[in-house]
Amino acid sequence: MKIVFARLALLALVLAAWELLPRHGIVNPLLLPPLGDVLAMLGELLQRGQVREALGVSAAEVLLAFVVAVPLGAALGVLIAENDYLGEVFKPMLFIVFAIPKSIFLPMFILVFGTGFQQKVAYAAFTTTFVVLMSAAAAVESVKQDYLLVARSYGATRLQLVSRVYVPSMMPLLLETLRISMIFNFTGVLIAEMYASRTGIGHLIASWGENFQMKQLFAGVVLLAAAAIVFNEAVRFLESRVSAWRT
Amino acid sequence: MADLKNGAAIRIEGLSHVYGGTVPALQDISFDVPAGRFTVIVGPSGCGKTSLLMMLAGLRAQSQGTIHCLGRPIPAPDPLRVGVIFQEASLFPWLTALENIEFPLSLRGGAQKEHRQRAQAMLELVGLSGFGERFPHELSGGMKQRVSIARGLVQDPPVLLMDEPFAALDEQTRMTMGHELLRIWSTTSKTVVFVTHSLTEAVYLADEVLVMSARPGRIIDRIEVTLPRPRSYGMMATDVFGRLRDRIWQQIRKAD
Repeated sequence: MKIVFARLALLALVLAAWELLPRHGIVNPLLLPPLGDVLAMLGELLQRGQVREALGVSAAEVLLAFVVAVPLGAALGVLIAENDYLGEVFKPMLFIVFAIPKSIFLPMFILVFGTGFQQKVAYAAFTTTFVVLMSAAAAVESVKQDYLLVARSYGATRLQLVSRVYVPSMMPLLLETLRISMIFNFTGVLIAEMYASRTGIGHLIASWGENFQMKQLFAGVVLLAAAAIVFNEAVRFLESRVSAWRT
Repeated sequence: MADLKNGAAIRIEGLSHVYGGTVPALQDISFDVPAGRFTVIVGPSGCGKTSLLMMLAGLRAQSQGTIHCLGRPIPAPDPLRVGVIFQEASLFPWLTALENIEFPLSLRGGAQKEHRQRAQAMLELVGLSGFGERFPHELSGGMKQRVSIARGLVQDPPVLLMDEPFAALDEQTRMTMGHELLRIWSTTSKTVVFVTHSLTEAVYLADEVLVMSARPGRIIDRIEVTLPRPRSYGMMATDVFGRLRDRIWQQIRKAD
């Protein structure tokens, strides 16, 4: 309980500093507008049609990329984990490619897809697929051979091996994969929008930054941070329910 | 069922196994396990004891020879004939103790309520009533192995195969578990094949000890344990016990 109070106190301290330091001119309010002003601006922005439309576009891009990348990455990951030959052939290459910052490929995506909706989805799905692939493969490999042997000795069918051993055993890692993939996905869309775009919340944030509209900029940051935190905590809650057995 | 009348629950004839087409693992093994008997297999590491047990369970195919279990070959796992209890308990960590015991029943469908009752009865048999809702990580090593034994018994298979089930336990727990196993065995009259490294455990538990040679594994000695039942810890200090253990030790040393 004490820890919880200390954490809340820390949060209150940071927020208070954000409000008070610029308000009293200790920090330049042109660089860091007071929290109150930022929140007021956020409320105002959410009323604007242009901002709402940008949020809608970004959300659609994130969701579509998610829907493309997660099944694709999961299927490829299971494939290289289950098939020894494919695993041996593809894994070294994938590890190397995984290490490359994906944003350097962004110009190529612009050349191929232009600067519209498709490019954002394609780029975000591209970055996310790798993460999902790697963690799905790790999840399959995390299933202990002992468990499979036990289940087989009790006459489990192939389908039962999947539903009764593979899935429950992998569930905590799968949820974690989902969480991490959403973070990559979100990042992918934002970077693509900030880099070259005519719409989307990333584009707005980039242009507010370029024009020194600090209140708008921080309002955007608060909004996206809140969205990311809500998703993250929701999946973490699920994780803790599903993986009570993990020590 | 002719073999059953002869009293052999397991009959192995001319069994050999070669790994990957080149490495001989088991060589010309033949023996019977009479119904209701407790047979222990000992032998040096890597002699193929576990492989042999996996073949008896229908989990692995042999290169040559035949295995008859209750009068029929066992080409695939058949949990109604053979229950297997593994090293390291191998409980599913995402299931509670009771759900782990129920697992074999749940694979076959049927009434949930009966499964629960049956699992509860097994939990009681192994002395763990009240621990059914615990997850494996909340149980001690000995308790986990008790759950594992209950899981092996839940479908009431006439044959029980045990692959070094107590190897991961400390010496004290190991002896207690051995004693417990004998108690459970005496109430269920199963045919047991038990693989172990421990000579003391072998003599303490067995009606008969089979000694295997180093790879390729062969049966090099069969030792009848004449100690009366029920066994007690005190017997370990007797001359008979010491001589039996010493004879097995001499055989294994020769074999290695």
